[in-house]
Amino acid sequence: MKLYVKAWSGYRGSLKDFDVKKELKSKYKLDTRRQDTFIHLAVYGAQLLKDKTPINSHDELYITSGVGNIDVLQKTNNYVQEEKDFIKPFDFINMLGNTTSYYVANSLDLKDKNTFQVSDNFTYINTLISVFASLKVSKKEAILGSVDLCTEPEEVIKRVLGLDENTNVTSSVTYQKLSLSPLNAVAEVEFDAKVYSLNEIKALVRDSDLNIVSSMRCEDLELYKDSEFFETIPSYYLNQAIKTKIDLLYIDCFENSYKVIKVVNLL
Amino acid sequence: MHSVNILDYSLQSSQGNTEETLKSMRDKSTIISSKGVSTLDGNIKIPYYLFQEKIEENPDDIKRAIKKVVQRISDKLSVEQRKNTSLIIGTALVDKNVVKAVVDTIYDYKKKPYDSAKKSIDSFAKEISEELGLNTFTMTISTACTSSVNAVLEARNLINSDIIEYAIVVGVEVFSQMMSDGFSSMRLLSSDIQKPFDVSRDGLVLGEAIAGVLVGKDSSPWSLRGGYSNCNSLNITSVSPSGEEYAEVMNKAMDLSEVKAEEITTLKAHATSTPTNDMSEIHAIQKVFTPDVTFTALKPYVGHTLGACGVLELAMLMSCIDDGFIPQTLNHKHSIIEEYVPLQESKECYSGIFMLNYFGFGGNNTSIIIQKESK
Repeated sequence: MKLYVKAWSGYRGSLKDFDVKKELKSKYKLDTRRQDTFIHLAVYGAQLLKDKTPINSHDELYITSGVGNIDVLQKTNNYVQEEKDFIKPFDFINMLGNTTSYYVANSLDLKDKNTFQVSDNFTYINTLISVFASLKVSKKEAILGSVDLCTEPEEVIKRVLGLDENTNVTSSVTYQKLSLSPLNAVAEVEFDAKVYSLNEIKALVRDSDLNIVSSMRCEDLELYKDSEFFETIPSYYLNQAIKTKIDLLYIDCFENSYKVIKVVNLL
Repeated sequence: MHSVNILDYSLQSSQGNTEETLKSMRDKSTIISSKGVSTLDGNIKIPYYLFQEKIEENPDDIKRAIKKVVQRISDKLSVEQRKNTSLIIGTALVDKNVVKAVVDTIYDYKKKPYDSAKKSIDSFAKEISEELGLNTFTMTISTACTSSVNAVLEARNLINSDIIEYAIVVGVEVFSQMMSDGFSSMRLLSSDIQKPFDVSRDGLVLGEAIAGVLVGKDSSPWSLRGGYSNCNSLNITSVSPSGEEYAEVMNKAMDLSEVKAEEITTLKAHATSTPTNDMSEIHAIQKVFTPDVTFTALKPYVGHTLGACGVLELAMLMSCIDDGFIPQTLNHKHSIIEEYVPLQESKECYSGIFMLNYFGFGGNNTSIIIQKESK
């Protein structure tokens, strides 16, 4: 399977010193009321994409995430379960996954397919597969947003991501505008549904002349790994490959199974 | 047109399994329970369509209940077929794994030693797939009340792109105190019964359900002709009273399925029985169909099962047609629009083309078209 990247955007890093909400209000003049940080981050990444490429109202929208909006669950759980207060209507609505994709669609003026989906294993690559399958049927283009918010205390997110307690985690939002057509594309991304064994992936690594990065979860592979983790990190490296114009093989791992994406620059 | 076939279905609702739920529709008798919700006036009891066998609000119990329904379908598949069958779930459930991690971490008096395993709302699909020998490609769609019908369309796409051969698509909704309180806070719940498209309708009644369909390219009398899902990104909880956004989705679903309005045998409406949703939907029906259209609502039999209603109401309608009838709309006396009256008496029907509407929070609106060939 192959998709063409028409544009990309992203922000990665701690939100302690970066006020996303303020940025949305001051730079993009967007209404940020009734939303929370997870939604703000998703909308912010979308605006960065909009800065780079025209958005068609019939582009399909996919939002994926490692664990979704922990922020609202943590806050709501605290005041409902611990303080025995009533749930606020907008916290209730924000707990629904597609509320995030709604606000993204709203900020981009999208009117077509809009979905929020999560895969336990290979979150980003499985969503790419989903996008590919949908575009084959619809013949449209798609916007794929990957959102991971690192909340405080970080231990909560580490518990649900299956990480060692000492792992460094961070927040990230990345977007790509994807198409089946190579016209005006900046890169192509190749992937498949195949799940590789360790031996197969070692053979792939041996035969590849591409720059290779592997997930922190690939403990049996002695390859370059990022020092920080977020679930949709393959999306970040896809963007990095385009930004640095260095073709890339990214290897993701889940419970001793492997999947890969190959990024080739076209410009 | 990108059709696939619907090869099997199974459901578990407040009325029981597939056969028991069918019987309740045939007999027009439903069992309804109650639950407590928090309101500004204190805790009150609300009507609720609960499973007869209680499922606790924890991941292990929920997984066991989902697996039971999936297994009823997967048991009929060969080992080889199971390997080529993906499990795709549609649900609006809150991720209890995250809630547990929050509770285990942030409250000193509840704090548990650090323990970590990769979990997400898709863990149900992943773990059940492993246990039943299904394909490793799993996915969970969360688009509020359209979750599982959108999951059906995703399965259609994956099959038509030859990525998978079969998919078991499951809609899941079990009682959640937080979700129930949320609907209560929005004043969307009826204190009585659901009265779809009735002038006296006053809200929805929530329900639990787990329902599955098997889709693939093997021959079957049932096919998914097509469907359309979009996002009305102008309002997060409703559309305009004129229903133009719903009408657009219904018309597009027919275009993509190469079906005309006059060919639709019956429309299964979303029909939440809330004042605003039913008003918009009846106006959409008026825009798309002539007054002689047959339309009905299934929620009075099982409640509004949120993310599960996509597959649940699909399976319910299929079971009724396989049994030879279209179920009447319960609890309806005076229609919002005089000329457009939902089905008042169950009607004989063995085949035809059916439209199913689903509209949800977050602007997600979906219509699908299914067909059963006559023998």
